[in-house]
Amino acid sequence: MRVGPLERGERWLGYAMLAPAAALLGLIVVYPVVRLILTSFRQVDQGSRAGEAPFVGFENYAYALADPRFWGATGNTLLYIVLTVPAALVVGLGLALLANLPFRVKWPVRLGLLLPWALPLVFAGLIFRWFFEYQQGIVNDVLLRLGFEKLQWLSSPGLAFAATSIAIVWKSSSFVALVLLAGLQAIPRELYEAASVDGASAWQRFRSVTLPALRPAIVVALIFRTITAIQTFDIPYAMTGGGPGESTETLAMYIHKTTIDFLDFGYGSALAVLMFLVSAAATSVYLRRISRAEDAR
Amino acid sequence: MKAVARVSGICLALALSLGSLAASAQQTTLRIFTGGQQRPDVMRQIVDLYSQRNPGIRVEVEVGGATSDQQQQYLNTVLAAKDSALDVVLIDVIRPAQWAAQGWAEPLDSYLGAERDAVMNRYLPAYREANIVDGKVMALPYFADAQFLYYRTDLLAKHGVQPPRSWEDLIEGARKILAAEGNANLSGFQTAGAPIEGTVCTFLVPLWGAGGDLGQGGRVDVATPAARRALGLWSDMRSAGVTPPNLAEIVTDRIRLNFQAGNLVYAMQWGYAWNRFQGDADTQVKDKVGVVPLPGFRDGKPATCIGGWQLAVSAFSRHKAEAVKLVRFLSSPEISKMQAVLASHLPVFAEVYADADVLKANPWFSQALPVVQTARARPVSPRYPEVSDIVRSNTNAFLAGTKTVDQALSDMNARLPRAMR
Repeated sequence: MRVGPLERGERWLGYAMLAPAAALLGLIVVYPVVRLILTSFRQVDQGSRAGEAPFVGFENYAYALADPRFWGATGNTLLYIVLTVPAALVVGLGLALLANLPFRVKWPVRLGLLLPWALPLVFAGLIFRWFFEYQQGIVNDVLLRLGFEKLQWLSSPGLAFAATSIAIVWKSSSFVALVLLAGLQAIPRELYEAASVDGASAWQRFRSVTLPALRPAIVVALIFRTITAIQTFDIPYAMTGGGPGESTETLAMYIHKTTIDFLDFGYGSALAVLMFLVSAAATSVYLRRISRAEDAR
Repeated sequence: MKAVARVSGICLALALSLGSLAASAQQTTLRIFTGGQQRPDVMRQIVDLYSQRNPGIRVEVEVGGATSDQQQQYLNTVLAAKDSALDVVLIDVIRPAQWAAQGWAEPLDSYLGAERDAVMNRYLPAYREANIVDGKVMALPYFADAQFLYYRTDLLAKHGVQPPRSWEDLIEGARKILAAEGNANLSGFQTAGAPIEGTVCTFLVPLWGAGGDLGQGGRVDVATPAARRALGLWSDMRSAGVTPPNLAEIVTDRIRLNFQAGNLVYAMQWGYAWNRFQGDADTQVKDKVGVVPLPGFRDGKPATCIGGWQLAVSAFSRHKAEAVKLVRFLSSPEISKMQAVLASHLPVFAEVYADADVLKANPWFSQALPVVQTARARPVSPRYPEVSDIVRSNTNAFLAGTKTVDQALSDMNARLPRAMR
């Protein structure tokens, strides 16, 4: 196809206008990622003298794959994903349905829904750390009043995992609720009216009208929630610091510890690349299932 | 008329700006970084004194980090970026080797000049050694520290218990008091158990008491009877009901808070706590506190962990000469005495322990000097954060019941050699 001089000029103008954005993207995204991958093949740590960074090939990766702490952290991350993503979805859906009820004054409901999401993650972590504290925490206080024993929420591995999961679900369900509320509001009233005229119960209306119409919103919420769940860091970090032992340590926390605490950049970079591969695998599984579902429709 | 006004206006502006330039040229601002647990309020008083004596120098105190490891994490980012924002940094006694290896601290030998040996010999030997790395002076000591056994004099007197000379005596005494008092909020003994720096001492103190050690370079073997005895001490205390079930959650300052509120009989704590117990507004234990050296096992010798904080000059500071002057002031006998009186910070000069004012504020300092002189150092390594993490997270896992003694020690053994290479 012959491109006329006018179109050629426009095309060059297009490139020129994209160039600054591309350069910025290259600087902020491409350069650090390339640097990360290159560092993962070197030994850059506190033992080596300043300036030395010997090339060690796949040694960092081999150490990672043989490192029980790496597998423990990956296992914890996957467990967080499996626990908190569905839980946040269910709780978020419930909150969205509640918020969708015809209130006369809408803003307190919206505000209540928005606040957990707006709160910085570390604040949420610290607040819940105080809630679950053994001697002075409010959760143990309620348990005592109800006649139960105090629980060692943050110093026993299973309970610490549960406590951090509760905090994560509380924080993320508000985001899911916001996304789903937008979806709910877009469902036309007539569909519900037609369904109740046909004699559908509340549950049948929910199953046949609400859920299918909410599908795109659920998919969006799931994708966002899963990507953030893979990166879980702030709440377990603020609540337990990874303890007791390493039972609440996620992969992001282990990478943080290796790079910021131990200053072992070589090994930390290798871990980060492995985490990227895990996330890429998880997200591609998602996308394939979603596109398959869309094709099926 | 207009022209005159304009010209004189310009002249006035020029004069003012030149004047302010001159004034700012005389004013040097130094920034000193300290942790939240090292009494920044007392440091502010001390640097104000310095500013009074040295007009033209302004010192700002930046406070950060609730625990030693958190402070170092923040400093890691600042120093790895070669930021010149900080001039003087207060660092833990375990850090000079790491700072020397990374090139973060300015060696002070050239600034001390001919006085170097004289200056360094005045300090307690442990701190002289801790601050000289590869023959270079990396920092000057600010205050000394070690872990002591604090106890409630009133509770011990009431139940006829003597201050314990061994861990076994401590457990017996604590059980007796707890049984007699019948107070659900009262705890027998607490030490750091959360995955923080202080927990390294929770492992090392009974390890040293049992005759073991981590090993410095060379072969590292922690799966020894001494190590099992060390961890066994804490499980014995737990089964005797002397330590609380949530020991794995407890951080250093929480022990102080619990003792201060009257909920603790014995505490394994650093020197700073005394001043808080005697002086804080909300203290329930004023004049009811005794301090003795930490016990050992019945068949062994007592051991304790050395602590203390040092003043390093940042290698990236823009005012190094002035910073060194400030550091030498802060590290002088006069200031050591001031800290001892205001904050119960143990002095780094042997003669200050005998000072009348210091002993009036801290009667137990007369016993403290031999403890500080025999306190043992944690492993010296440029990779200390990793070594510390391995020891503290495994100790924490053991205290929380996530790992058995064998698992905790074998995990330590698996990772320590790489970290201590």
